[in-house]
Amino acid sequence: MSTFLNRNPYRRGRKSSLFSGFDPVLTGAVALLLLMGTLLVYAATREWYSANGLDPQYYLKRHVINIIIGLALAWGTTIIDYRLLRAYTPYIWGLGVFGLLFVLIPGVGSEVNGAKAWIRLPAGFQIQPAEIAKISIIIGIAMLLSERTHNSDEPTNQDVLKALGVAAIPILLILAQPDMGTVFIISASVVTMLAVSGAPTRWIVGLILLAVIGGFVATKAGVINDYQIKRLQSFVDPNADSQGAGYQLRQARITVGSGGLIGTGLFDGPQTNGRFVPEQQTDFIFTVAGEELGFLGSGLIIFLLFTILMRAFAIARRSTDPYGTLVCTGVIAWFAFQIFENIGMTLGLMPMTGVPLPFLSYGGSSMFANLIGFGLLQNVHASHRS
Amino acid sequence: MGNLLLAKSRINILVIAIFVLFTLLALQLFRVQVVQASSYQRKAANEMQSTRLIPAPRGEITDVNGIAFARSVSAITIVVDQTQITDPARVANFVAPILGLSAADVQENITGTRKYSIVLKNGRPALWDKLTEAIYEYNKSLDNQHFDKRIIGFFPERSYIREYPSGELISSLVGFVRADGIGATGLESSLNSTITGTAGKYSYARGYGAEIPGSQREIIGAKAGTNIRLTINRDVQWVAAKAIADAVKSSAATSGTVIVMDPKTGAIVAHATAPTFDPNNTKNVALSLMRNPSVQDVYEPGSTGKVMTMAAALEEKTITPTTVFTVPYMLKRGGSTFHDHERHATQHLTTSGILAVSSNTGTIQVGETLSHDTLYNYLTKFGIGSKTGSGLPGESGGLLRVVSDWSGTTAPTVAFGQGYSVTAMQATSVFATIANNGVRVSPTVIAGTSDASGHFTPTANRSSVRVVSEDTAIKLRLMMESVVSAQGTAPSAAIPGYRVAGKTGTAMRYDQNTGRYSGYTASFIGFAPADAPRYVISVTLQDPKNGHYGGSLGGPVFKKVMTFVLQSEHVAPTGTKVLPVALSQAELTRARATQVSAKKQ
Repeated sequence: MSTFLNRNPYRRGRKSSLFSGFDPVLTGAVALLLLMGTLLVYAATREWYSANGLDPQYYLKRHVINIIIGLALAWGTTIIDYRLLRAYTPYIWGLGVFGLLFVLIPGVGSEVNGAKAWIRLPAGFQIQPAEIAKISIIIGIAMLLSERTHNSDEPTNQDVLKALGVAAIPILLILAQPDMGTVFIISASVVTMLAVSGAPTRWIVGLILLAVIGGFVATKAGVINDYQIKRLQSFVDPNADSQGAGYQLRQARITVGSGGLIGTGLFDGPQTNGRFVPEQQTDFIFTVAGEELGFLGSGLIIFLLFTILMRAFAIARRSTDPYGTLVCTGVIAWFAFQIFENIGMTLGLMPMTGVPLPFLSYGGSSMFANLIGFGLLQNVHASHRS
Repeated sequence: MGNLLLAKSRINILVIAIFVLFTLLALQLFRVQVVQASSYQRKAANEMQSTRLIPAPRGEITDVNGIAFARSVSAITIVVDQTQITDPARVANFVAPILGLSAADVQENITGTRKYSIVLKNGRPALWDKLTEAIYEYNKSLDNQHFDKRIIGFFPERSYIREYPSGELISSLVGFVRADGIGATGLESSLNSTITGTAGKYSYARGYGAEIPGSQREIIGAKAGTNIRLTINRDVQWVAAKAIADAVKSSAATSGTVIVMDPKTGAIVAHATAPTFDPNNTKNVALSLMRNPSVQDVYEPGSTGKVMTMAAALEEKTITPTTVFTVPYMLKRGGSTFHDHERHATQHLTTSGILAVSSNTGTIQVGETLSHDTLYNYLTKFGIGSKTGSGLPGESGGLLRVVSDWSGTTAPTVAFGQGYSVTAMQATSVFATIANNGVRVSPTVIAGTSDASGHFTPTANRSSVRVVSEDTAIKLRLMMESVVSAQGTAPSAAIPGYRVAGKTGTAMRYDQNTGRYSGYTASFIGFAPADAPRYVISVTLQDPKNGHYGGSLGGPVFKKVMTFVLQSEHVAPTGTKVLPVALSQAELTRARATQVSAKKQ
């Protein structure tokens, strides 16, 4: 508890300006990605919408609104007091779990691409409780693993079990949707946080083994849905499901590949405008960058995402308390695995799962969660500036 | 807190892991976008580029002055991708009134899983504009919550439909086009390959099931089919069609044909048949109505055939127009009795008189001045037994048995126009040969063709054959003028102010269905002016029930049409003075006496 009191001088110090706590490199990279994402979402939707007599700026407008709300949330997350965040953590976790239970009620959750992941709200808005769950799990585990109720350098088995408990309930609920991509990302983040918290190596190795064996058994035993097996099959053999997942993956790769070194130019991608790749404004947004901005543009996106992660590492290292370090680690793992899963899927390195690309994809819940994650990094950064 | 140290060493592992993952991404990105880029670009181009045909319009069929008988007009076929229709009932109710269709029909066509279903075939292009505008407004009016209610999935296909502006006026000649755009009957069928345009091709980028707007590029332009200009004059055609339709109706004939021909060129100026059909609406038309009786129906010509017997005898100089024959009512030949139409006492008639009163027994005797082979050869030279070369679809050459098959009654029968069969076109051609001073010109309905760029190519001159000498033709024309005289069989064909020559035909009609002779074929074929013939007109009526004489049924139709043609073509009247040709022995003696006394004075 003493760490709390120690941090007080910092807090007071940065209250001089509302924005003084922002890391310029991190903020710059995020801002640039948000801008690129906005253009790419517009590029992915304008032609098709205007061709169908609809408002070509429909997605553009909503994307900008999502970003504005997300930035407000990021700002709030940045300036909020650690203690307040800790105090609210159980409620946020509870809210996430409640949302995940809610979507599973038949007739309530709306099914998109075979997964019941959404709660429909009025005015055409939808909310994805799994995104809230990501944040609640990260701050929840960080809280549990950074607070020691006893004198020990490492988290005890009891601490690890508590942390796993916090993570397991939302993970099982997401598994029930089923949304394997999100399960993978959250699981990877939890294992990473446990590792960084200093948990015994046997736990880390054991959990990784459990995940591998569990995944294998689930596939064999038919716990995993048919469409997920199809997705896996089409990852191994893209021609296996030529109309479904295989088609999408092949189209995604053709679209990216046809961009070449410098791309066709923004808004001028024939594959993009022809809607060869479905869900292009969300999960396959990277294909738009690939085709229209080429290797240079999509390489820049990977570089900017990498920059965010490297800055986050710097912040994690500089943090003087385990809570900050663990929050940063959790966010880093979340972002890193989600980015790898998304771009890897687009490029044929990973099987198909429906996860959006952080900071770029269209989608409110995901955008809010990403920017809250960004806010958490800033919060830790602001708390430990020297 | 000691655990932070351990944690930070593990952070380094995480940094390395992430660095490895991102390096993998970067390498794979490089591989896809730089190393394999051209391969993917080719794949993209392949799957995107698709081609479609651009329909080409058929050529127009016009009259001699360029007035359209058949033309192609743009149409739009509205097609739907059924998989894009979320709520067929609602969409059908929206779309049906705009297209003027029943909602139930539309709903049936838009419900299902087919990507291509026709909602409206060959509609007016304006309908598509109306539909897209309405859908656009409707979609725009939806707020974001009702996004899935928007109407999508309709697309247009260009097409052409065939229109016949003059309706049934000339349908037996021009024909009509099937629903799939291929000529079914008439010239539409026989000239199909010429009239049919060459479809073009365009490429387009295929998006998610639709053409990407603005991606269309023409590879080969559509080439409109060749326009056909007929020799038909629409105004003459109209008069002829009206006259024959009226005559068929009033005589209760099963069918009738009028052909107007220019004997010098073989050009058919009018070609009317009755009853006929409306080519714009062929759904419930009987197949028999779609025939062209002028070249497809054969009949025994009867007395009009006597002209050929006379021409042959004149040419062979076995007779002159004033050779006198003893003409009884009945004549026995080959075990059969032949007789004239009307009972009469034995007469002494000149060959001109025989033709004027159309005596069968007289003509038999004229025919007997010739050998069977000679008679047969002349018939053949006049075109009997072979196609006229008109090029009209389904043309028959008629039937003429070879001499070796002739029986004892054949020669006398053939002499007065029975025992062989012709088409109306063949019969017209026989008279045109005499009108054209003995030269037979193959008939045609085509004046020329013009390609899509408007370049006109006139039809090559028609093949011509000399059948009889000019002298024979002139003599025969004089003889034929007596037919329309007061003593002849067709005074009703006379036209005041013009010299008219012709021949009536009242033939026993062989019924194909019963295999027996029943009813008559009544015809009149003539030309005017008789001294310098400009037009030949044939009128043929099959199986009339109210009267059956060619003169009384065909003559008035001939007169009506010929009067119109001569006047509309500004043919100057040549006077009605007929050179006196003695029709009987008595007249001949009287004429000779007059001539002798004139010489003496």
